[in-house]
Amino acid sequence: MTATRTDNRKKNRLTAMVLFTVAGSMVGLAFAAVPLYKLFCQVTGFGGTPRIAAQAPAAAPTDRTITVRFDANVNPALPWRFEPKKTQVTVRAGEPTVAYYRATNWSDAPVTGTATFNVTPFKAGEYFSKIDCFCFTEQRLEAGEEVAMGVEFFVDPEIFNDPNTQDVTAITLSYTFYPAAKGKGKKGGKPRQAKAKQAKSLGPVSVAGRPVKG
Amino acid sequence: MMADQETAVAGGHDGGHDGGHGHHPTGWRRWLFSTNHKDIGTMYIVLSLVAALVGGAMSFWIRLELLDPGIQFNVFGAGEEAAYFQFYNVLVTGHAFIMVFFVVMPALIGGFGNWFVPLMIGAPDMAFPRMNNVSFWLLAAALVLLLVAAFTQGGPGTGWTIYPPLSNADFHPGAAVDLGILSLHLAGASSVLGAINLITTIFNMRAPGMTIHRMPLFCWSILVTAFLLLMAIPVLAGGLTMLLTDRNFGTAFFDAARGGDPVLWQHIFWFFGHPEVYIIIIPAFGIVSQVVSTFSRKPIFGYLGMVYAMVFIGFVGFVVWAHHMYTAGLDVDTRAYFISASLVIAVPTGIKIFSWLATMWGGSIDFRVPMMFACGFIFLFVMGGVTGVALANAGMDIAFHDTYFVVAHFHYVMAIAAVFGMFTGFYYWIGKMCGRQYPRVLARIHFWSFFIGVNVVFFPQHFSGMAGMPRRIPDYPDNYWGWNYVSSIGAFITTASTLLFFFIVWRTLTAGEKVPANQWGEGATTLEWTVESPAPFHTFEELPDMTDKQADE
Repeated sequence: MTATRTDNRKKNRLTAMVLFTVAGSMVGLAFAAVPLYKLFCQVTGFGGTPRIAAQAPAAAPTDRTITVRFDANVNPALPWRFEPKKTQVTVRAGEPTVAYYRATNWSDAPVTGTATFNVTPFKAGEYFSKIDCFCFTEQRLEAGEEVAMGVEFFVDPEIFNDPNTQDVTAITLSYTFYPAAKGKGKKGGKPRQAKAKQAKSLGPVSVAGRPVKG
Repeated sequence: MMADQETAVAGGHDGGHDGGHGHHPTGWRRWLFSTNHKDIGTMYIVLSLVAALVGGAMSFWIRLELLDPGIQFNVFGAGEEAAYFQFYNVLVTGHAFIMVFFVVMPALIGGFGNWFVPLMIGAPDMAFPRMNNVSFWLLAAALVLLLVAAFTQGGPGTGWTIYPPLSNADFHPGAAVDLGILSLHLAGASSVLGAINLITTIFNMRAPGMTIHRMPLFCWSILVTAFLLLMAIPVLAGGLTMLLTDRNFGTAFFDAARGGDPVLWQHIFWFFGHPEVYIIIIPAFGIVSQVVSTFSRKPIFGYLGMVYAMVFIGFVGFVVWAHHMYTAGLDVDTRAYFISASLVIAVPTGIKIFSWLATMWGGSIDFRVPMMFACGFIFLFVMGGVTGVALANAGMDIAFHDTYFVVAHFHYVMAIAAVFGMFTGFYYWIGKMCGRQYPRVLARIHFWSFFIGVNVVFFPQHFSGMAGMPRRIPDYPDNYWGWNYVSSIGAFITTASTLLFFFIVWRTLTAGEKVPANQWGEGATTLEWTVESPAPFHTFEELPDMTDKQADE
């Protein structure tokens, strides 16, 4: 009897150990969901996550056009003004286009910000590709500095062949600038892929470096 | 005195660990340091009854507020409508949390699970008696924390789904949501420990001959539930931790303005939340299966089908979560998947319903009170299931999202159905637990008043929901008045019936007639009816040998 009880206790401990491991790995999975969800969105365009392309499509642009609208938001914690230079453009699908935003640091200290982004309607995400974007890296603005920030993108002509996106005539590209995490340096706004060096070309272009009035 | 206590404590612990021969602590030590599965089960049931009074009072307040358009009970005075609206949200939130985590789960899993899983499989106790004690007291602490949260800086008015941004530091700046999160952490830890205990007990401690496919369906239902707890609760814990650090330590998991994504919370929450509704209802399946079989005096129809229907429901329950999120902006293909996966669940639930009916078919049915509640359960569950199949369709759900149609649906399918499961178990097993029979006439009055009451509450909510009445708002336009009024009348009936139930509990314990070991006769074939009533403090010190029994007996 005693022997059975001891055996049982060993067996019970082993079972409990396995079950604790299951519970522990489910906690791990919950946290792994954060990067996995991000990855899933990037791969599938889920939730309006735009694609990132190395270069413009080889095929010639089509004649069909689509409207791209630009939206800009700033986290209240970031002392910047941020707005698109043009609120919308009409582009030919497949043709790389560059659009500019204007950002102004109205505080009297240098501030580093980074931007999150998506497109609406969400289903257009997989057909909206960025070749280069100021949002790939963190942006530092000196006190009172005003810069133009560029994004180079194209709309994949496949959007006209997908039955789900037949009703899409306009895509809104939206950015929200927020303060970059402190102490993370360049890693904070890490490039989604190895785009950091290209970003130079379209990174902040100092418009005049002129101090902002007021 | 102190020395005395400490010796008693040490003795209690050793006793519990070594099987408890000869040790039988008395007074408060018997309960506080309990390692006995029956005592711990009793404590779970008492906790559930106490919490049911609080959660029930909250829902009664909600129905009183909705009796008429306009604001009825602004306890904060004129000009303080915003504070009262927040208070109303706290009532809605508290009602949900208390009913889910502190009423249904403790009664069905902690209470009946602890009491009857060891008895039904012929085990002397749970695998880890002291861990069992920890599970219970963690839950008691969690309940206290939740009640403290409700009275802290406006309380958590987030709804039980705790969606950010409403639950983040901008909109709930006080400590209330943090306390609520910690309460859920404790309740979750309690559930995970309990689940590990139950699984280990069921896997390792079955009596000789009690093969896994001879196990009573109630034990199967608890086994499936325990696995759901084990997989789902840690995901909630992870999500809650992220929310806690978002609120307090500057992370941005769910803050869109800092690169996070609030929809990620919805995914994490419902990955837990959908299995959670099965955690609530599957133990009730188990109880109803035992009762239908007992009072039809037949073995359950399609035992294996019943078992694997529960396993299948548990499995598929993990891959349908986004049907709670149709309005969050899923694309049409994603919705199509979640619609079809959700509709698939109707198949195993159908297997269960038809197996219960087939068990009754041709049986010698005895409509004792547990059987009445079991039939009530089946009716309510089917009602809620039908609207569930309707709501699984994204096209309909987008129209009905956040209306009272949804409220009616989930109260039918998991809330009052689970409560009927609890009453079924109570009337079925109270004789075994306390050795006394419930007063029969009062119990029948309780059944009919409760059945009519809840239907009067929730059936009209289908109509007000289809008319567009939104959830979680204390005021409404005059044109929703009619069905809301009817619904609130039902709340009066239900509340009266609930008070009658507490009276029945008191009468049973003090004046009920003594019952023999097997009070239900030949239909009651499971092992708990072989021990005397009330079940002695220690049972199955000599393991029962089931080797010669037929599997279908």
